[in-house]
Amino acid sequence: MRAIFKIALGIIAALGGFLDIGDLVFNTQAGALFRYDLLWAVVLGTAGIAVYAEMCGRVAAVTQRPVFDVIRMRLGFGMGLVGLIASTLVNLLTVAAELGGLAIILELLFDATFSMFVVVAAIGLVVVVALLPFGGIERLFGYCGLMMLVFIATALHQGPDWGEVAHGFVPSFSGSTLYLYFVVGVFAAALMPYEVHFYSSGAIEEGWTESSLRENRLNAIVGYSLGGILACALVVSGFLFHPVGVDPSDLGTVALPAQGAFGETGLLLALGGMMFCIGGAAVDSSFSASYNLAQFLGWEWGRYRGPRKAPRFTASWLVFLFLAMLIVLSGINPVEITEYSVVFSVVALPLTYLPILMIAGDRSFMGKHANGRVSTLLGWAYFALIVVLAVAAVPLLLATNGGGG
Amino acid sequence: MRSGEPIFIAHRLLDEQILDSEGRRCGRVDDIELRGTPPRITALLVGVALYPRRLPRRLRGLARRLAGPERWGANAMRVPWEEVDEVDTAVHLRGKAEELGLGNGDHPENWMVKRLPWN
Repeated sequence: MRAIFKIALGIIAALGGFLDIGDLVFNTQAGALFRYDLLWAVVLGTAGIAVYAEMCGRVAAVTQRPVFDVIRMRLGFGMGLVGLIASTLVNLLTVAAELGGLAIILELLFDATFSMFVVVAAIGLVVVVALLPFGGIERLFGYCGLMMLVFIATALHQGPDWGEVAHGFVPSFSGSTLYLYFVVGVFAAALMPYEVHFYSSGAIEEGWTESSLRENRLNAIVGYSLGGILACALVVSGFLFHPVGVDPSDLGTVALPAQGAFGETGLLLALGGMMFCIGGAAVDSSFSASYNLAQFLGWEWGRYRGPRKAPRFTASWLVFLFLAMLIVLSGINPVEITEYSVVFSVVALPLTYLPILMIAGDRSFMGKHANGRVSTLLGWAYFALIVVLAVAAVPLLLATNGGGG
Repeated sequence: MRSGEPIFIAHRLLDEQILDSEGRRCGRVDDIELRGTPPRITALLVGVALYPRRLPRRLRGLARRLAGPERWGANAMRVPWEEVDEVDTAVHLRGKAEELGLGNGDHPENWMVKRLPWN
């Protein structure tokens, strides 16, 4: 019974930690621009992160090696370094986007200037991370992020045409480059690499062993599937903007459908949920940046070691957070930073995905827990898809002027 | 792994995480010293100054300028193979990191670590 309870808690944390500012921005806009037509891309991205996270969690539990350990071993120093630099730049942009998103939401809830809230948000994150142990950080943001469930209620409340919604799950390609850009965006927002890198290092932080493999599978499959439903709900609630032509690229408007459905309570739940989801993502992405750096260079790392035993890891985390803060304070619109961080993340993704796929299928490392036929097939199919999207991402970004049409 | 056993060094040893006798992470296997015929592993080489030689030839000059010249015992450490206790999911050493000059960047006596606000 206790084991089931523990697994349920893990799933809830995975669910609450699934969404971030990328999903909020891309999915709501996708609903506003293309109605339900992009739901299939959300599903494809969600299944992709489940496959990738399950593999990373399994590699970490069986071999005790997190992602960037494996990257350097399989790609070698030179290509591994390219992977590190690319991931670090993307992570930094992501932290900046999340920090900016957090400040926008605080600005809607309380009365002060944006720059002030950027600093407040950064300090708040430092305090939370300093006070709570690793599991506590995950639970705080995961459980409070469940307020996002209001978006599912909102989507149901809108009474969508279920025939049309079902039709959206069938892949379709209209010729417009803007549509293709959103296919990449929605897919990539679901499959942000930092989430998986964090998940894999988190497995080591929590002391996973081979006996945790069932927990890993359930977290990845059930937790991320439920997260996927939430991501679909964002698309459906974004549909509200379709007939009226409101542009939800302003983060605050993402919460409006919930207000339309459930009044002030709905609005507060939506904003609260967004705040914890984005805050959790800010912690996850900044931790990922430090995990990757420390693992590549062989430093001591981990929240479980504490700042005294892992001083370089802790210091680098503070530096990343500070740099992200400077990026937001420079005045670039956080929604724009988000779009860049999501699109560039898919460009950097193959470099971190390939080595994991190689180790996960290597019996000399994984023994009987190596990829079976299904995982191998799925793993390589997704790798092919990711490579195609990685090649297409930047041309589409330029051709659509960053989704501006 | 016993000494004398063959090992695919590029597959299982190079770039691997090094842990000291207390389980502290203290660097990675940045290079491997081989001697004799047939060649045998005589030492693991660890340190920032060894990074340039792992890069493509064209980038080495620039990387050397960034990493600084090799100073053995400071930014390039030689860990004799006898100090290696076991190689499994990581390279386990027999001694403590500071005795071998590894993991200095995380050491409480390091000048930068000393200045961190939580120390």
